[in-house]
Amino acid sequence: MLPFVRVSGGVLSALAGLAFGVPAVSAEAPPGRHVRASLVAESDAMRPGQALTVGIRLEMEQGWHTYWRNPGDSGLPTRAKWELPPGLAAGEIRWPYPVRFATGPLVSYGYEHDVLLPVEIRVPAALAASEVRIAARVDWLECREACLAGRADVSLTLPVRPSAPPGRNAALFAETRRRLPRKDPAWGFAASSVAGSLTLVVRPPRGTALREAYFYPTTPRLLDHAQPQLLTREGAAHRLALARDPNGAPAGHLAGVLVAGTGAGEVAVEVDVPLVSGPARTSLKQEK
Amino acid sequence: MKRLAFVVAVLAALRAAPAHAVAVVGQPAPAFTVSDSNGKVHSLADFKGKIVVLEWWNFECPFVAKHYGSGNMQKLHKEWTAKGVVWLTVSSSAPGKQGHVDGVKADALMKEKAGAPTAVLLDHDGKAGKAYGAKTTPHMFVIDAKGTVAYAGGIDDKPSTEQADIATAKNYVSAALAEVTAGKAVTTATSQPYGCSVKYAD
Repeated sequence: MLPFVRVSGGVLSALAGLAFGVPAVSAEAPPGRHVRASLVAESDAMRPGQALTVGIRLEMEQGWHTYWRNPGDSGLPTRAKWELPPGLAAGEIRWPYPVRFATGPLVSYGYEHDVLLPVEIRVPAALAASEVRIAARVDWLECREACLAGRADVSLTLPVRPSAPPGRNAALFAETRRRLPRKDPAWGFAASSVAGSLTLVVRPPRGTALREAYFYPTTPRLLDHAQPQLLTREGAAHRLALARDPNGAPAGHLAGVLVAGTGAGEVAVEVDVPLVSGPARTSLKQEK
Repeated sequence: MKRLAFVVAVLAALRAAPAHAVAVVGQPAPAFTVSDSNGKVHSLADFKGKIVVLEWWNFECPFVAKHYGSGNMQKLHKEWTAKGVVWLTVSSSAPGKQGHVDGVKADALMKEKAGAPTAVLLDHDGKAGKAYGAKTTPHMFVIDAKGTVAYAGGIDDKPSTEQADIATAKNYVSAALAEVTAGKAVTTATSQPYGCSVKYAD
């Protein structure tokens, strides 16, 4: 019924502590900084011809945060510039779903405590080297109330082996994958817009109780992030009332991530639907 | 009965939503009355017939530092005030918040950076900032001579804290001012403002 703000990341920190055998709060940022960046890999080795998932890990001091791909009212998304040996190529950052930070009348989207931003590295079948160094320059904005620009050069060297099973960081990656929004055709969505407001119709899979929901937009300059999102129920469907940014750009699509509180916990589902003019219809068909 | 309770809850929630008074392109600019760093009171109505720029400012914010450290903002102050534009630099940092300045501090900072706005407005209670929907530092607004919002958004198209990006960025404020002063429609009238959040009181 009401929008919710949830503090999270503690699970990841706890897991990370287990994985590394050190207390999760021990991450030390460089002097004057509040975020420690590192590069980790899901496997302890690289296998020719097999994609490798690496992750940019940002460990943030208590109270500090970094930003999601859409930072909301302020902030900047974290960026990586890769330095890879010939033949290897890095994909885009895959963003775990964020949490919200409200500062005064403004709302931004990001992460606190500890986040892993996974990136897939394409590895060629013909790889002659016995070990490979993967490096990146990572830029981010770290904010508590005040903000600082953060930058680090991170790297990782892995041996090349005939097999690359999950390594010592596997649990960290598994936990992060649970926080990646997924495409799920069992969820039905439709979006419509009238004047300054916009309605996202949500039809959860049969048997899924939708208790609360928040929509994090990735379509730029469409929504007024600071306005409350009101969830109401209409039969098997729900309506999430969203406010448009009065200085926003015209959009023919509504894309983003719906984070839904269900009876079975929190799920994050990708939304990408045409945005049509006119009042919302709740009789939408389930996508097959 | 259940249905009625539901309707009441919905109405209550709608009522709780804050009113939407912000500066919208193509509409009359919200009125404001704010004292400047020398105690002089300025109202938007005082500048009728003139083109006005509002620049949200927090000297401790790295995005603001990008545009002052490079001299980019000061160059805009000088260029456009010389052409008769009223340039108001606005600090909405509340007392105790980052970037909060009194008049003496504001003037000292502008002098040190060789900034040359028409005035620095001290919007300590955030009234003007909230009336405009100012979200970031910087967040830029251009108001035409008729008092209509002509531009609202970022200073340029390179959201970063890197001074090196300024050389290749498209400055939306310069472009909007060139078009407004020439009596033309503004090609890019809105953009994504980027920067630190405005440090309003909690």
